[in-house]
Amino acid sequence: MTDIHTLAGAYALDAIDPLERARFGRHLAECPSCAAEVAELTETMAAFSGATTEAPPAGLRAAVLARSAATPQTQPAEPRRAVRRPAGRWPRWAAAAAAVIALAGAGAVGYGIAHHPATPGSTRVSAEDKQIAAVLGARDARVDSVRVAGGGQVAVVSSDSLNEAVAVLTRLPSPGAGDAYQLWVISDGTPRSAGVLAAGRTGGTELVSGVRGAQLIGVTREPAGGSRTPTLPLVAELPLT
Amino acid sequence: MNRVAAGDEDAFATLYDAVAARAYGLIRRIVRDPALAEEVTQDVLVEVWRTASRFNQQRGSAAGWILAIAHHRAVDRVRAEQAAADRERRAGAASVPFDEVIAEVTARLEQEAVRRCLRTLTSVQRESIMLAYYGGLTYRDVAERLGAGLPAIKTRMRDGLIRLRDCLGVTLG
Repeated sequence: MTDIHTLAGAYALDAIDPLERARFGRHLAECPSCAAEVAELTETMAAFSGATTEAPPAGLRAAVLARSAATPQTQPAEPRRAVRRPAGRWPRWAAAAAAVIALAGAGAVGYGIAHHPATPGSTRVSAEDKQIAAVLGARDARVDSVRVAGGGQVAVVSSDSLNEAVAVLTRLPSPGAGDAYQLWVISDGTPRSAGVLAAGRTGGTELVSGVRGAQLIGVTREPAGGSRTPTLPLVAELPLT
Repeated sequence: MNRVAAGDEDAFATLYDAVAARAYGLIRRIVRDPALAEEVTQDVLVEVWRTASRFNQQRGSAAGWILAIAHHRAVDRVRAEQAAADRERRAGAASVPFDEVIAEVTARLEQEAVRRCLRTLTSVQRESIMLAYYGGLTYRDVAERLGAGLPAIKTRMRDGLIRLRDCLGVTLG
């Protein structure tokens, strides 16, 4: 029995930190018997839920149904194929951009979509803006978002075919004087910095490269300028798989 | 679940009625605060709607899948809140009465099979599982709390869950 296999119990109980979770998740993809065991152990804990059943507050049902009605569903995973997009697929671009705005909240995005709008005479679009637009319009773009404790949220649009993602951080709590939010791409449990916001900034849009094969995009709070390794816990984590 | 994955809102409402009390109850045990529990439950159920196509019945029941998402989100949230409290050095944030929650859960286990099976575990197996599951603790935290080594706690969690699984006859596929 390998050492990593003994993590199956802790994994099923969510009793591991995000980095180990990502590493073990990678192991599960290569170890069908481990994945089956985790599934059974997870199912086993569901048997306890009868002991904690509690009627939710009255307004929850309407709130959930209203929010779900306004939330697009992810499509089943399709086998990958080479993507050749015809030029000028504005509708798809616009739909993805609209999804990001909806997820990130109005006012936050102001970037990529309505970048440089007020600069007189400026029709130039930076290379990074073009890349952001390409990710938002990618045929295999996936959108995910998560709320952050203390307020705000992080939305990520990722494209495996482009090997890039766009992370939109919106109205996060103040990182504190002299601190900054930093993004990380986590592959096989190893974090790599994917950009640092300016100190004190509570939102921003970052282009994240090298996401193919990675498991997680994470956000941490770090000293201004960022750190070489993430300071746990993660403020937000979004699975890429 | 197939109908939910196909975008059927009525099917989702039916699913809500079937699982909301179990999801909310579990989340509230972990995050404690009812308003926070309501917020997390809402996020979880919208996530279920959004990602319903990822549900794989070969990997377990719909309730099991939903409760696993609920547990994961609740634990994330409680750890983030705890970290925020630690940063602000809020008084008293460190001492949380997990034991009360665990005692309550154990007392309320209505299904005789679950009670009986839980009794077949060693006390360390039982405590490791309950502290992690309802306390949102990592196995490192559990090891520290129980004064045991990391490999021992990992093993106790896995062995304990396997014993519960076999005792309850949980099998998939």
